[in-house]
Amino acid sequence: MASLAEVASAAPINANASARRRFITGRVISYALLIIAVILVLFPIYWMIVTSLKLPREIYRVPSLWPKTFTLDNFSKLLADGQFLLSIRNSFIVASTVTVISVVISSFAAYSMVRFRYRFRGVIGRLILFAYLTPGSLLFIPLSIVMAQLKLGNSLQGLILVYLTFSLPLSTWLLQGYFRGVPRELEEQGMIDGLTRFGALLRITLPLSAPGLAAVAIFTFTGAWNELLFALVLTTSESVRTAPLALNYLITSDVLPWGPLMAGAAISSVPLMILYFVAQRFMVAGMTEGSVKG
Amino acid sequence: MTVETGPVRRRFGGGFRLKLFAYALVAPVVLLILGLVAYPFLFAIWVSFTDMVVGSTGQFVGFKNFEYLAGTSTFWSAIWNTITIVLVSDVLKLVIGLGLALLVHQNLPGRGIFRSFLMLPWAMPAFVAFLTWRVLYQPIGGGINLILTQTGLYPEVIDFLGTRQTAMASVIIASVWRGFPFWFISILAALQSVPKELYEAAIVDGANTWQRFWNVTIPSILPVIIVTTLLSSIWTANGFEHVWLLTAGGPSDATMVFPVLAYFGMQTQRIGEAAAVSVYMLPVLSILVLFATSLMMRREE
Repeated sequence: MASLAEVASAAPINANASARRRFITGRVISYALLIIAVILVLFPIYWMIVTSLKLPREIYRVPSLWPKTFTLDNFSKLLADGQFLLSIRNSFIVASTVTVISVVISSFAAYSMVRFRYRFRGVIGRLILFAYLTPGSLLFIPLSIVMAQLKLGNSLQGLILVYLTFSLPLSTWLLQGYFRGVPRELEEQGMIDGLTRFGALLRITLPLSAPGLAAVAIFTFTGAWNELLFALVLTTSESVRTAPLALNYLITSDVLPWGPLMAGAAISSVPLMILYFVAQRFMVAGMTEGSVKG
Repeated sequence: MTVETGPVRRRFGGGFRLKLFAYALVAPVVLLILGLVAYPFLFAIWVSFTDMVVGSTGQFVGFKNFEYLAGTSTFWSAIWNTITIVLVSDVLKLVIGLGLALLVHQNLPGRGIFRSFLMLPWAMPAFVAFLTWRVLYQPIGGGINLILTQTGLYPEVIDFLGTRQTAMASVIIASVWRGFPFWFISILAALQSVPKELYEAAIVDGANTWQRFWNVTIPSILPVIIVTTLLSSIWTANGFEHVWLLTAGGPSDATMVFPVLAYFGMQTQRIGEAAAVSVYMLPVLSILVLFATSLMMRREE
């Protein structure tokens, strides 16, 4: 807006006043639009939380925007048989394991592709990007057959293996970008001081790429935490259900489930919301640099 | 082929060991991608040409699955609906994302807070977002009907997800809500990287606000918009959750899309046909993916 001010100061006095009025009008309209957008963004989240805290009567019979009585009944109903907690636990196991595996082997691969030149490097780069963009909707049928053949169907191990299909390409692609930003000279200095090349990767490149590793870990965790289609196809028994799957089956039951469903939705978003508020800066940077769906 | 010199070369005793080291580092990812993405991908294409059902390997049947699908009305609904969802939601996300990015890009006090709030739908798990929208749309217990009737905007309760006329629009609105932050933040980053000198030069040349927008802003952020459009189209066309959790393709196929149709095929155990549904998407999908990968590789250079 500096430009507007400059133009205004150069102009005669009544033009100055009109520019000022235009500026204020612009500000008012901008804030109004942004506030409307924020309300539209927040309303569904508000509805989720409020519905989870309502008595059935206020959800179905006398619906209200603001509940008269707040209750934790929905939460206790949801958590009563332990099934939902088990699926949250399963989600944690799957998402953390996928994250650890993915970050470790992807950083090796990304490092290799950034620091060395070899014959198939270009091909591998393309393969990784293709794999990143190959949709799960194309892979879930053959993968379910393959997992059945490997006797990994209906198991958390199977889910972990399958989730590597989207996490590895994404992590490798993103980490390449971060590693490129680490000056080669720093590693060479380290190697003169006696580090091996692998030591240089562990002691110099990885620590310097810590924000990148954090972003990649968060994206991988989020991707695995959110995944529904593979889980729906690959698992059959209740004991290996993940959180999205448990909630999916809640809506197919006969009773009107909105209260407990929204309680489950609220619980399932807590880990990601914490990650978002702690690491928003890394995530936004990573997302814009590497094109991450989230 | 290795171009390493100096201490590195000495430590590893020449190029061969270094090259071996490079291959060893990249090998796990390459092998897993070959095994978990490339092989299943080719396997899916093979399966689509067989009459495979659960428990049998199936025989090669040529284009029979594809012909069968083309003869069903559900399949044509899926084509039409997939195209509609992708096009309409891309346009909406572009308009909303660009508009909000331009607003936040001004030097407004408090812009950081607005940015954090506007990103929230992206930070929520997709399944949580769509389950919440499912509740919002309910005739009983849904927030949207409550607001419409209580404010008197619309007197009757609407079954948004259960009515043919409103189901598709409802799915699109929910997926725009969840998907616009990606556009918003990508475009905002692009806006922030436009060199200030370009605007100053345009002002010196006497360009007004509109002219600056069309001749400086738009051309500068166009590459980002193109990549975002391609990626978003690929993800939306293959999205499963938004339709599955809201309508499961109903009512009577009004929101049926390819991934849900393939999932139903899988549930009825006719794997050959289910695979053919996915394979039908390949030609268009490959074009989008090829475009997107070459643009992303170029940007990376």
